[in-house]
Amino acid sequence: MPKRLISALFLVALTGRWAVAAESDKAGDYQWNLPKGFPKPYVPADNPMSAAKVDLGRYLFYDTRMSVNGKESCASCHKQDLAFTDGRATGLGATGESHSRSAMSLVNVAWSGALTWSNPEMRSLEKQALVPMFGEHPVELGLREGDRFLPMLQSDAKYRALFEQAFPNETDRFTIDNVTRAIASFERSIISGRSPYDRYHYDRDDSAVSDAAKRGEVQFFDQRLSCFRCHGGFNFTDSTVSERNAKRPIEFHNTGLYNLPGLLSYPPPNVGIYEFTKAPADVGKFKAPTLRNIALTAPYMHDGSIPTLEGVLDHYAAGGRNGHNPNKDPLIGGFTISQQNRDDLIEFLKSLTDDAVIHDPKFANPWPAK
Amino acid sequence: MARTKLAKLLFLPAIPLALVLAQTPSSQPQTQSGPAVLTVTGDVPMPLTLKAEDLAAMPREKASIPDQDGTEVEYEGVPLREILKRAGAPLGGQLRGKALASYVLAKAKDGYQVVFTLGEIDAAFGNEQIIVADKRDGKSLFGYQGPFRLVCPKDKAGARSVRMLETLEFVKLQK
Repeated sequence: MPKRLISALFLVALTGRWAVAAESDKAGDYQWNLPKGFPKPYVPADNPMSAAKVDLGRYLFYDTRMSVNGKESCASCHKQDLAFTDGRATGLGATGESHSRSAMSLVNVAWSGALTWSNPEMRSLEKQALVPMFGEHPVELGLREGDRFLPMLQSDAKYRALFEQAFPNETDRFTIDNVTRAIASFERSIISGRSPYDRYHYDRDDSAVSDAAKRGEVQFFDQRLSCFRCHGGFNFTDSTVSERNAKRPIEFHNTGLYNLPGLLSYPPPNVGIYEFTKAPADVGKFKAPTLRNIALTAPYMHDGSIPTLEGVLDHYAAGGRNGHNPNKDPLIGGFTISQQNRDDLIEFLKSLTDDAVIHDPKFANPWPAK
Repeated sequence: MARTKLAKLLFLPAIPLALVLAQTPSSQPQTQSGPAVLTVTGDVPMPLTLKAEDLAAMPREKASIPDQDGTEVEYEGVPLREILKRAGAPLGGQLRGKALASYVLAKAKDGYQVVFTLGEIDAAFGNEQIIVADKRDGKSLFGYQGPFRLVCPKDKAGARSVRMLETLEFVKLQK
């Protein structure tokens, strides 16, 4: 008898489930279908990707029963048509509490080395998912330990099937850990790499973008503007990690948005990574977000305080606002730019809009419309 | 083929400012695509103006290296030392004494500049593989990368891999 078959039968005898072997086959063989130029993402060893987990995660992501008021879900702040942002300057929780920062895009979050705007310690999508679910400062979805959330999942025939497919070898599969594993898997599957720029840059299709966008690309990578220093790489951010580059240090930047007197030169509670490091030099330092789909994710900056892309360009051209913050990144030195060059740069940024990701049914709400 | 585990090329967000010899943040960026010529100027007996076809006819090398995000990329072009040799720079047996106080200033279209000493380029000294590349993964460089760029596979950081390379200026400090 072949050795593999003996092993499989041993497992079945031990657990009474063929599914053990079935899951070990499924886990980790997820078909990424990565766009050209995209490295394989880092995935934690205890949560290998599987199509079943991604499927379950999508149902959870869009399920309004995951909130205290039964009306909100992850998708309330991460809308597909807005590249998984919400269009607000700052987020709004299920209890009506306004948040201090704006909802970040989830596209290509699989490559994000640090999650949220300014938490250098939050590097796990699985752990991060707990924040909107159970966080109290601020309240986002407003779930609480002991709520009937898990029993609700268990009583739902659809979820019973989805959880069994996603976690077939677990007897107690309705756990918060498995909920966050599934949501994280779905989030990792949201990949944006089919923009006109991608067709131009990676497929070498000269007709994919306008001449203005091509000129804008050259400016973007021009040392005198240095946009690429913080927004470089295939994902247009310096917070990218990948399977072979998983421990890369993540940069945070003070872009000179504020300059209040005293130690806290940024208005609390948005003081940047200082909140965690307590190093005075870290006040006002935030993550540089991906620029993919940036035309869809207004308003801009961590607090949504700049409404348009043109306004962001003005901010950087001026070298920041409100005087000279002592922690301001030396790269924010200001520059002069003609109207033509501004227009070209904006056209380049617009060429990063990926219509496919905002219309792909794989990422859409799977629940029937009410 | 030379490789390192660290990020190599372009995009690097933390390029040491000391390496940026000429940045003028208040000036206008250039917008037209670069001229398809590479000039070799300075203290050389035979200044050069090289076109793409000239580089295609010279000895060529390839280097596969991971880019900043970990994706393997293959660059192809002409070794920098071959270009300097053609311009008459003192390499090989001529590289001794005062000639060792010589360097190459690589200048990009956007004003970016970096330096290589002749000693690190020469085969008998540093023997560093530095390529003036015109192809990436078999395709001609274009847009913000091209038409020519430097590739330095042994560098741990990518800041000397100058994009939009226009000029190699040879400087003899002691004549």
